[in-house]
Amino acid sequence: MSSQGKVLLVGDNPFHGISHLSQERSRVRGDTPTNPEYAARLIGLSVENGADGFMFSVSDTTLSILDILRKNGDNDGLRLYAIVPYAYEYVRLAGALGGVPGLAKKLIREIVFSGNFRAVASGLNGVVRSDLASLVKTYLLYEVSRVRRSAGKAGLESVLLHQLITDLCLGLSLDWVFKFYTEFLLKSGITPGFNTGNFALLVEKLREWDIGLEDVVIAAPFNKVGFQMVPSKEECEKALASLPKPNVLAISILAAGYLKPEEAVDYIAGLPNIKGVAVGVSKERHAIETFKLLKDRLS
Amino acid sequence: MLILQDLFDVGKLFCDVLKLSGDKLRVAVVGFGKMGILHAGILNVLPKVQLVAVCEKSALIRRFMKNLFRNVLVVDDVGKLSGLGLDAVYATTPISCHFAVVKSIYNLKAASNVFVEKPLASNYGEAKELCDLALRLGGVNMVGYMRRFSATFRKARELLNQKVIGEPVSFSAYAYSSDFFGIDKNSKVHTPKIGVLRDLGCHAIDLALWFFGDFKVNNAKIDSLIGGESEDSAFFEVETQSGVGGKFDVSWCVDGYRMPEIGFTIEGSKGVMRVNDDELELNLNGGERFRWFRHDLKDDVGFWLGAPEYYREDECFVEVVIRGGSVEPCFETSAKVDRLIDEVLVKAG
Repeated sequence: MSSQGKVLLVGDNPFHGISHLSQERSRVRGDTPTNPEYAARLIGLSVENGADGFMFSVSDTTLSILDILRKNGDNDGLRLYAIVPYAYEYVRLAGALGGVPGLAKKLIREIVFSGNFRAVASGLNGVVRSDLASLVKTYLLYEVSRVRRSAGKAGLESVLLHQLITDLCLGLSLDWVFKFYTEFLLKSGITPGFNTGNFALLVEKLREWDIGLEDVVIAAPFNKVGFQMVPSKEECEKALASLPKPNVLAISILAAGYLKPEEAVDYIAGLPNIKGVAVGVSKERHAIETFKLLKDRLS
Repeated sequence: MLILQDLFDVGKLFCDVLKLSGDKLRVAVVGFGKMGILHAGILNVLPKVQLVAVCEKSALIRRFMKNLFRNVLVVDDVGKLSGLGLDAVYATTPISCHFAVVKSIYNLKAASNVFVEKPLASNYGEAKELCDLALRLGGVNMVGYMRRFSATFRKARELLNQKVIGEPVSFSAYAYSSDFFGIDKNSKVHTPKIGVLRDLGCHAIDLALWFFGDFKVNNAKIDSLIGGESEDSAFFEVETQSGVGGKFDVSWCVDGYRMPEIGFTIEGSKGVMRVNDDELELNLNGGERFRWFRHDLKDDVGFWLGAPEYYREDECFVEVVIRGGSVEPCFETSAKVDRLIDEVLVKAG
């Protein structure tokens, strides 16, 4: 199953009905990929054809997919890369539940009913002392326990901070968030990760803040046409080359379906310090062809 | 003792804030909801900007923010921004507060350059008053209709100006989101009181004004799909000053629009253009067909948060504040959107 070279991950965008090429394309795809049974079948097929794991935003949908994989016995040895929080869902919920207070109430209810007493205690401490670090810890404990419950024999390799939160904290120069997040996950035996749309700046700042680049994984767009490579393809490639070891998970390698897999893979194969790639698939044929190709060319 | 220490800390921070910026533009953000956070994040990475202060009325959020930021003053009232020597203020409060907040910023002389998230105000009367105030007090003013900075809509306007599809004959526009799709009438979910037209439809109206110039509303229909007072969908027909007929369809209860999407189909004498947030397509009468995605339209920015257009918008505002002049969409331009929304509401009865 496992390729000797790069980690090959199934991405979850199609399972959430997301296409970064256009929303029109996800509407044309219809509801099929968002059906957890179908999504689990796609992951199973991808694994049969060379995928090693699953990279996903933690949501009810993706946890259902993990539950199905566990029940079907298809999760043994699966390498999991979980992204938290599922920011867009929280933004949408905040709008529908009357803003941040409504969202906070919902989340508190869920954490309390999850029965995770460590999380509850840390959360209480956070509220009483207005301590954001305690609240971040509470949230991470809650999400990790949710993933582990659904994962079964699949191994949780890394928890990555969602792109929106990573880049927001990056923009606001909140170095303590990066330090706290990294230290907390390392202590928990999980590799800390950051999903970013500002790869070059993130690498520069992690260095400036003395956060060990060898201790983290970074998921960022890398593709032949430079789509979403900020501030430029050249700057991102330069930052990539400067890393101490291969710890980058390349995402958007097909530039959201703009590139053919063959041309996309050639570009990735030529880059240094790529630990692996994550690619979303929405059809059975895609799953088979894409991961066969990735295994052949990136192993 | 603790209070004295707090006072000392605030005093020290106040002094730090006053001397920190040097040559940088000193900016404050009023309202630290999702748009306030987003703009603060972008402004903070712009090399010519120093985020100096944040004003937020929620005591809980303020408490957390004081722990979050080291060199940013956190205050509870716009009045406390006066005397900080601010160059610009971003007003990113709920729409219903825009009028009062912007008025205070001007009247209390917190800053002369003001950016307001879209739409400018809750009605045309308020928008007009803010325009008058801005005109009287000077400075740069701008409203956050960020789609004017989107790669696809910019290209569309460029092609329209070049008459690639000839003279526009008619257009139809939509503004859809799935934010409240599938919500039943007994649900506890709250829709924004401001209604779908001002919350989402304003983008389509602003773009139509940008593409075709001013227009009048001929007829309109507004529906409540969720129940109560909720204004959930709107359909209206317009006519531009040059006689181009247009139709608008606006709703936040449409399936398949995880992200809000604005789109236009424009029929011209030489072809048809279709444009939305993701792509632009041209079908010319001669049979030629062209299609561009964001990938093809140089959608690069210096920092990516939310969407590239937010960065371009903030960069544009800051540049104009630094070098002087005016920027679009300014208050005067954006007030037209509020006027047209009022017209739709009146026509819909």
